[in-house]
Amino acid sequence: MYQVLSPEGFAEEELDPRLLLSMYRDMVYARVLDRWLMRLQRMGKIGIHAPSEGQEAAGVGTAYALGENDWIFPLYRELPVFVARKVPISDIVNRNLSNRADPLKGRDFAVYGDIKYRIVPAPIPVAVHIPSAVGFALSLKYKKLSEVVINYFGDGATSKGDFHEALNFAGVFKAPIVFVCVNNQYAISVPVSRQTAVERLSVKAVAYGFEGVSVDGNDVVACYLAAKRAVEKARRGEGPTLIEAVTYRIGPHTTADDPSRYRDDEEVEMWRRRDPITRLRSHLLRRGLWSMDEDEKLWQTAEETIRKTIEECEKNPPLPPESILEDVYATPPWHLIEEREEFSQLR
Amino acid sequence: MLREQFSREKLLKMLRKMIEIRLFEERVERLYREGKIIGPTHLYFGQEAVAVGVIEALDKDDVVISTYRGHGHGVARGVPMKAILGEILGRAVGTCKGLGGSMHAPISVEHNIPLATAIVGSGLPIAVGVGLAFKYRERRNVATVFFGDGAVNTGAFHEALNLAAVWKLPVLFVCENNLYAMYTSLKNVLAAESIAARASSYGIPSYVAFGNDVLEVYETTSKALEKIRDQSGPAFIECRTYRQKGHGGYDFGTWYRAKEEIEEWMRRDPINMLTERMKAKGFITDEERKKIEEEVAAELDKVVEEVLSSPFYDYEKLPSLVYANPP
Repeated sequence: MYQVLSPEGFAEEELDPRLLLSMYRDMVYARVLDRWLMRLQRMGKIGIHAPSEGQEAAGVGTAYALGENDWIFPLYRELPVFVARKVPISDIVNRNLSNRADPLKGRDFAVYGDIKYRIVPAPIPVAVHIPSAVGFALSLKYKKLSEVVINYFGDGATSKGDFHEALNFAGVFKAPIVFVCVNNQYAISVPVSRQTAVERLSVKAVAYGFEGVSVDGNDVVACYLAAKRAVEKARRGEGPTLIEAVTYRIGPHTTADDPSRYRDDEEVEMWRRRDPITRLRSHLLRRGLWSMDEDEKLWQTAEETIRKTIEECEKNPPLPPESILEDVYATPPWHLIEEREEFSQLR
Repeated sequence: MLREQFSREKLLKMLRKMIEIRLFEERVERLYREGKIIGPTHLYFGQEAVAVGVIEALDKDDVVISTYRGHGHGVARGVPMKAILGEILGRAVGTCKGLGGSMHAPISVEHNIPLATAIVGSGLPIAVGVGLAFKYRERRNVATVFFGDGAVNTGAFHEALNLAAVWKLPVLFVCENNLYAMYTSLKNVLAAESIAARASSYGIPSYVAFGNDVLEVYETTSKALEKIRDQSGPAFIECRTYRQKGHGGYDFGTWYRAKEEIEEWMRRDPINMLTERMKAKGFITDEERKKIEEEVAAELDKVVEEVLSSPFYDYEKLPSLVYANPP
């Protein structure tokens, strides 16, 4: 398994300090925002949340390898990717609140997407977005664009037929795509050991004739470097790569799950000790690029900024009921126009 | 290298089976061209060694899941040729009372062929289910499933192999790689090194056999079966072979394949290959082979005549096939 940062923060390859500090900031913001979204759900303000705590390095590291014109096909647990993409926090919060400022107008729940940032909204069913991502990547190739697609999915997705058909297609037609399998050890309650009989999910790439690589998903530098190589390869027209980022979901599958029913506390504790944010911080401290004072300040600022943003977002009014009848037809048929009028009188 | 010393008797049995399949298919092809067969038919010419090699190695109680190119599987398994042909011609004597047609012709519960499916790749998850039943009932039997090279790119293939591996089920996956999925050459749809290599991405042991060499197929299957019966989970065999004719009866297989390629594979005809080997051992002479062919031909001509003069199923009785107690 590819690793650059040791758990103690020693590095085999020392990256540019500015890049590392920027990644560190995004990981912290993603962590704080994730905890806030959990809280908002518990307060009954948002419908559901799929927490990303513990997976920040996999998301941030791989997203930093992208150019700004590259496309993201995420899973529903990709908050760190959105933060790394510099999506405004208010957009993400409004999305979750499904209010009038929600870029998706409450059309879906719990998932974020916006064409402005070239992020395609994630599907709820497992793996169904992989064929779409491959098709999209082939369209980029067909149009002779130098853009690349990055596609995130979990370990559970690898058992789906969609995964197989899509990766075979991508291999045969050399689609400009990077597959990132965020192996967080559980597909809801099913552990990886019950998911597949192979040791590493990256070996599945052999079946499709392209490279597969397993990286330490809690090592942001390894994730970044592996993804960067894969993105560059895809851009050169040399086809796809499958990256398995081996990590752990510290929280529940979603706010509607109780993980204590299927895993031990000791296991969770073991992975908490491998926290990706702590690891990068140790490295920064070791290189003298960061101090504990600065660190404390960063966490405080993140907490403050996000709390204030949420307060602001909550001032947005809810979507009007008639919004449910919009956005399907360019020219709505008469019965929908009538229904919309009826709905607007409900207020 | 062959491990087993094959007796003359065993080799003669396999040769006869292969000849039966070949001559059976010759008659099916003729009947198809004469317009006597309703619906499509997919012929087994050239792949006889796969059906015979695999099925000879199985136990009587092992299950076989077949495909739409399954006449050969049925004949190899000993399903009466009259019932198979009856099915192809839609007669009541058919294996499915003539209601299924050519693509379901080998089905015979009595011979442990519960299914022959017309949908590419759809037999694999069903075989996994059969394997699960065997494991659940603690039986030492194996579910064997045949499929073509086109099936390996379907989602059903992927889900089936993964589940069989995770649950360590007694399933033998046999890919009859005849190099073409209808008119699509394998090299246009597979970027991996080989089909067999693909099994490694599920943690399944895989074997490659030259599918025109019945003894190699038999030995490879026996090896794979040993592994499966040791409770170590599924196994995968890729048999490299060639269909000497087109995809279906309506296709001559010529417009998308090079003449040289076809000729090269005709030179490696499975029946001739076995005959040559047997001759080298002094097990058979040309006259003896000719005699077998004449015997089989005479038997088949009788079968064709009987089936052609037998009645279609009485469609009035159809509801009784759906409900035990018709409403």
